This record gives sequence, C-alpha cells and structure tokens, in this order.
Amino acid sequence: MPVLRAERLVKRFGGLAAVDGVDLAVEEGEILGVIGPNGAGKTTLFALMAGSLAPTSGRVWLDGRQVSGLSAHRVVAAGIARTHQIVRPFRNLTVLENVTVAALRGAARTGSHPRALAEEVVAFVGLADRAADHPGTLTLAGRKRVELARALATGPRVLLLDEVIAGLNPAEAQRLAGLVREIRDQRGVTVVMIEHVMAAVMALSDRVAVLDYGRKIAEGSPAEVVRDPHVVEAYLGSGAAAEVHP
Amino acid sequence: MTGGRRRPLPAWFSGRVAAGLAVAVVVLAVLPVALDPYTHNLLTLTFLAISGALAWNWMGGYLGQVSFGHAAFFGFGGFVAARVLLHESIPPWVAWAAGAAAAGLFSVGAYPILRLRGPYFSIATIGLGEASRIVFTYLEGFTGGASGLSLPIDPDLKARLYWWALGLLALVAAASHLIRRSTLGLELLAIKSDVEAAADAGVPTALRQDVVLALSAAVAGATGGLSASFFAFVEPNDLFGFDRSISFVLMAVIGGVGSVFGPVLGAVVFVALRQWLVASYPQLYLGLYGGLLILIILFEPLGLTGVALRVARRFGYRARPDLALGSSAARPGRPASEAR
Repeated sequence: MPVLRAERLVKRFGGLAAVDGVDLAVEEGEILGVIGPNGAGKTTLFALMAGSLAPTSGRVWLDGRQVSGLSAHRVVAAGIARTHQIVRPFRNLTVLENVTVAALRGAARTGSHPRALAEEVVAFVGLADRAADHPGTLTLAGRKRVELARALATGPRVLLLDEVIAGLNPAEAQRLAGLVREIRDQRGVTVVMIEHVMAAVMALSDRVAVLDYGRKIAEGSPAEVVRDPHVVEAYLGSGAAAEVHP
Repeated sequence: MTGGRRRPLPAWFSGRVAAGLAVAVVVLAVLPVALDPYTHNLLTLTFLAISGALAWNWMGGYLGQVSFGHAAFFGFGGFVAARVLLHESIPPWVAWAAGAAAAGLFSVGAYPILRLRGPYFSIATIGLGEASRIVFTYLEGFTGGASGLSLPIDPDLKARLYWWALGLLALVAAASHLIRRSTLGLELLAIKSDVEAAADAGVPTALRQDVVLALSAAVAGATGGLSASFFAFVEPNDLFGFDRSISFVLMAVIGGVGSVFGPVLGAVVFVALRQWLVASYPQLYLGLYGGLLILIILFEPLGLTGVALRVARRFGYRARPDLALGSSAARPGRPASEAR
C-alpha cells in the first residue's frame, strides 16, 4: 500500500486550475521526483498535500488516513512535513532554536527530548558548528539545510522537498543531494522532491512524475520519463518530440 | 539520549532572574513603611501599569501582534469587578479575579481578529476597543452609562491595594520570564517571525495565539479591576478610552518591545512623565509621548532597553540573549531588505 496517496486533487484559483485532477501514489521508502515547467502546479500540489492550502476537491491519504482538509500543523502531526522553495527560517531564533520548534512535534512522537532531537538533527544536516548562529549569517546552502532540518525534526513519514538543490553551486548541490539520499537511506523517510536541476532528479529519484498545466502527463523511471514524447513537448514545445526522438 | 547524565535544570529556571525578582519584590513589599501616602499611591498605580505593559508585551513583543485595543479588556475587567465590588459582602479579591476571568473570556470571543496579522490585526483591535467603548456606554444597566458607577470608598482597602498590585506584578513578571524561557515562548517567537512556516513546523498557531491573547487580556482585566477599587469610580469613556489603549503600546515601546523586561522601564517612565506633565501641561503630554514614540522608532527600536544595552556594552557587559526577543515591533522578524 502506498504511504502517501493523492486522489483526483484539484485546486482552483478563480477560473485557473493550478492543480487539475492529479493522482499520485508514493511508495514507502522511495524518492519520487516531481518535475514540470514553471507554473505547472508543483508547489501548489505540495501545499495541498501539506495542508497549507485546502483542495477544491480530491483527497490526500497518509497510511490510509485522510489528511486533506486538516490544517497544516495537524498534517505535520500526522507525518507529512514540507520545506519551502524560498527558505523561510525564523530569523529571530538561532539555528538550534529553529529546529527545536519543529522538534517539539517530533519528540512528542518518538518520546525523546526536543532539545536532544534538535541537536541530533542539526548535526545530521551538518550544521553542528553553526547551531548557535542566526540563520541570517548562513549562506543560502546553509539556510536550505536549516529548512531541511526543521522539516526533518518534526519526525515525518513523508518529506516534501521544494527545490532544495536549485540555486546552489555544483559542489553544494552535490552535498545536498547526498543529504537527501541519506535522509531516505539512514532515517527511512519517504521523500517527494520538486526539483529543476535535472541531474539531481535523475540521479536521486526512483521514479519521476511530470506535471504540466496542473495535470500529470507522465510517470515512471527517470529514463522512461525523459523519453516520453509528452514530456519533451511540455519542455520544448509541440512538434519537438519528433525532432528529438525521430 | 541523556542516559546516565544528571537531569539538567529545567530550561525556564534562571537563578539570576529569579533572585533578582525575589529581591525586588521583598524590597518593594517592605518599602511602604518609609513612604508618604502620595508616593505609596503612585507606586500602586505604577505596579498596575507595569503589569499591564508586561502582559501587552506577550502579544506585541513575543507574538508580534501589536494591540491597540487593550482598553477593551481593561474596561471589561474593570466593570465586571466593579459590579461585584458593589456587593460589599464579597471579598474584593474575588471581584478582581472575576474581572480578570471575564476579560479573558471576552478576548476568547474576539478570537477572529487573531486570524489577522500585522497592521490588519492592529486596525481590528482599534475597532474592538472603540466598539467596546460605545457599546458599554449605551449599556447603562451594566455600566451606569456616561455618568459611570461609584463604588464604596474604603481608604484602608486603597492602602492595601499596594500589596495586591505588587503581588499581581510579581506574578506577571515571573510569567513573562517563564514564557520566554519555555517551549511556548519559542513557539511564539516562531509565529512572530513567520506564521505559516511555524504551522509547517507543527506549531498550532491559531490555538497558541488565542491562549496568549486570553492570558494577556486577563491580566489587563485584573489591572482594570484593581484600578476600579483604587479610584472607587468607573466610567466607560475613561476605562475603554482610546488613549488607554495607546498607553499600553506607549509603555511597551518606550521600554523596548523587543525585550522581556523593557516594558517595566517603559511603564515607570510613562507613569512618572504623566504624573508630572498632566499637572503642569495638561495639553502637552500626549504630544510629548507622540514625539518620544517617533524618536524611539526612528533611532532606537529597542527603546530605553536598547539605550541601556548600548551604555552597558561600553562598559564591557554582554547581554543575556534570552532576555531579548530577537526583534522589536518596529523591526519585525523578517527584514524586507535581507536577500534570500
């Protein structure tokens, strides 16, 4: 049974359907990449699954329990955590305090002490030596790690990562990609990631889902998806598929 | 994870702050033997003002929700207490407690305004304060209308109010410290910085804000009740007045909204200035507060606390980080200038 399942999810803003009937099933322990051109509805899909937005219609299930319609903090309590494309650290708190806020939830679930859990997660993402600093003093890569640590400290079953790698230089991107893999391998967290950096998506994902204009146009292994004519057309324009794969 | 190690002291415990508070309370408790009645009464009023300013700061400072409507809670608490005080068989502390509880409940009814943030919240609280003033002026059966209610005058009680007000202040100051040091305080500062990110980190943002508003309103209601006893007279346009709402903001901002104990300093300065100016220049004093407010927001958003810290730093003192709230109301959590 899939750990996370979205069923005919729809979100309309006025006349625009940002997400238009998306079905998605994420298996336990996999890394699912979500790609698509700008404006395809990827971030809106995440917001619906994380409870930040209520869907116009459709349902989201976590372990067979319906979580759509719950407010964001209840979805977190149920076991879904998200990061933001534009990092949103609490700027008035230190790195460790940022993560402790989230660890209050995670510790309640695992029975550990919030502070101890926060310290462990901060070390896991490689920020142990910056724990007492404010996020504003970190590089973008550092702040993305804070964002990641905060989501991780809630003790999620499923982590929704919104472009944690985009915008970083190649060396930093490589390290963060490694971290995402460790989150799955060492902590057993299922990962759904939106990513524009294709090399990272292809290397990390077990499967890839492609969105375009709010609909899922393809799904499969990374190799299958890049050859899919619908995907090629979505990225390069109609008629392009014939030229790329004659 | 901490197995084998000795259990550390709880995070909210701080020997220095606890000791400082205890000494201050003991000194103030025995001080009246050396005081003339005028100063005695002025200190009673100061204690009430400090309590109100500290409780306002839980909203304005910790949560970043600047209320311009705390007169609504002060007034409601004051009138409920006054109604109970009219029954002379009931001990006065019951009346004050009733006022506090009523004001807390009143704020729970006002919870929809807490779904607003920043300036929108502030504007809604102006509406709440003014609406309360008008409604309670018309409810003559409850408030006595524009002519107000007179309470039995009891000079003995008025003198004893000093210790009641001091007790309330000790409670509120301790709560200010405990909230800041607790995980609740951490959640409040997270909400102040970014309410949506806080919800995504699992913080029940709506519930937390409701609880803090209820606590803050209950303290405002308690000060309303005590000052009803002090003046032995309550009148809606005074208790619910807009300048009363403003006074909460002024005390906190003058003292330093970004700090835990700044409002203490602000309230002391506020009451002293008011006492001096109302007597000498009754028309001038609001203008002077306005000027002070502009200067503080422009040059020292941390208020007098900020000035004090600058001076202290000159002499090599390092501030305890937990006595600060990270940012003031004038400079909220997310500076627009900072690049992402």
